[in-house]
Amino acid sequence: MSTRERLRPVARIAKYTFMDDVRQRGFLVMFFILVAIVLLSRGCYQGTYVVNGRPVDTEMVVGTVSKVTFHIIVVGTMLITAMLSMGLLRRDRDDGMQGLILSKPITRCQYMLGKVLGIWFLTSLFMVSLHGAAFLIASVALGVVNPGYLVASLLACSNLLFVVITVLLLTLLMPDMLAVLVVIGVGVIGIVGDGLYSLSQSQTAQMILQQSSQPLPSGRTFWEVIYYAWPKLSGTVRFAASFIDGSFSSTYAYPIINIMLYCLILGFLLLLKFTKQEIL
Amino acid sequence: MIELKGVTKRYGPLTAVDNVSFSVETGECFGLLGPNGAGKTTIVRMLLDLTRPTSGSLCMNGSPSHFAVCRTGVGYLSEESRVPQHLPGWRYLLRSAELLNMSRPDAIDQCTRIVELVGIKGREGTKVGTYSKGMIQRLRLGAALLGDPQLLILDEPTVGLDPIGIRETRLLLDSLRNRGMTIFLNSHLLSEVEKICDAVAIINRGVLLIKDTTSEIVKDGDGLEDVFVRYVKG
Repeated sequence: MSTRERLRPVARIAKYTFMDDVRQRGFLVMFFILVAIVLLSRGCYQGTYVVNGRPVDTEMVVGTVSKVTFHIIVVGTMLITAMLSMGLLRRDRDDGMQGLILSKPITRCQYMLGKVLGIWFLTSLFMVSLHGAAFLIASVALGVVNPGYLVASLLACSNLLFVVITVLLLTLLMPDMLAVLVVIGVGVIGIVGDGLYSLSQSQTAQMILQQSSQPLPSGRTFWEVIYYAWPKLSGTVRFAASFIDGSFSSTYAYPIINIMLYCLILGFLLLLKFTKQEIL
Repeated sequence: MIELKGVTKRYGPLTAVDNVSFSVETGECFGLLGPNGAGKTTIVRMLLDLTRPTSGSLCMNGSPSHFAVCRTGVGYLSEESRVPQHLPGWRYLLRSAELLNMSRPDAIDQCTRIVELVGIKGREGTKVGTYSKGMIQRLRLGAALLGDPQLLILDEPTVGLDPIGIRETRLLLDSLRNRGMTIFLNSHLLSEVEKICDAVAIINRGVLLIKDTTSEIVKDGDGLEDVFVRYVKG
């Protein structure tokens, strides 16, 4: 069987997943909420901002608002992705579609790949569209086109893939809602970890450590390993957002590599677990 | 066409299928009989790799059942009548056809023919959620017949059908058998099985009690129902 023939069922399952999930009520509600946020952000680009009696540069205002909008859209889309992924396998099971598909000459890997790609494509398209709208608004306000915004959006899609794969894997091991909460927890711990790490690297913290007569805690290396090995969801968004103001540097690309590695490892585990799963 | 060798399936302490071996020849119409919980559906699900045996081997179309290729040319109607309620019947059939690697025009041709064959013409455009149980069963039977399968595995195909539907299904299966299709039938309707099947196996509590041709099993003037009751009640 040629690669093209192997990929055809994957593409079809992805298409059906896309078509079925785009009509989910939760998806539509979140879509309208985020569209409203993007449209409301238009007002932030107009008017004059004054800080300590000095007017703030318009370019800086637009840049900051663009970044804030970018972050809100990414976080919102990650939540939608988690919610959609949560019921993905259950819906198929309840509808009898899982049994129907897998009773045909389609492997479980093809099925799972189709489901993952379908939901990832849907949520990525959703996020890139919203970012596209924000990008247009910012371009009109500033009168300058900033393609970095769209690059940032595409980079942030790697987080959505991570969320899809992780939630699907966890739903095979625990109740759906718990799977979503675990993924949200992973994201929150990552943000807190980033904050603590930044704090520990600050000059003030270094000075306090130097002045302290106590030796450095022996567990520090261990916590650093944990910090670097933890899924870098917020780091990826920060790295992607650095493309908006052009402050990016390839030395900060580690979060993307970290997330892609997680996608590969968790994707492998997902396929392994699903291959051994009873199809109800 | 189908071969089971020493197949056992355990769910914890429960043995659903216990060391079952039998084969179904090409072109044969085979009926697997047994009371509720006998292990019939588990055998079918193992054949289609929806569940894995604890021990033993299952082959279909000459390949082990865990290879997807062995399901080529196999039509399957499951016991549960679950279908996506939001899809129109036509879309359900079209999806089923496309998943068999058919091109869109071929899939449309096949679905048009199947809609007439299973008697849902005129209702195929409405959502499955509005269908009666019998219509859903007809639709699912139609989906199993897509792609002109060489082997048809039917798990309780007449559930939910009225007497006319049951008769139509029997006549349809008869005509498919006459065209050389191999049929594997799980059913409680012993009179229907007796009329259609060339060979029958009776299973109870996971153990195969008998497997022979229908004519051999009912040769002493007893109906299949009498034989079934005799074997199952021991």
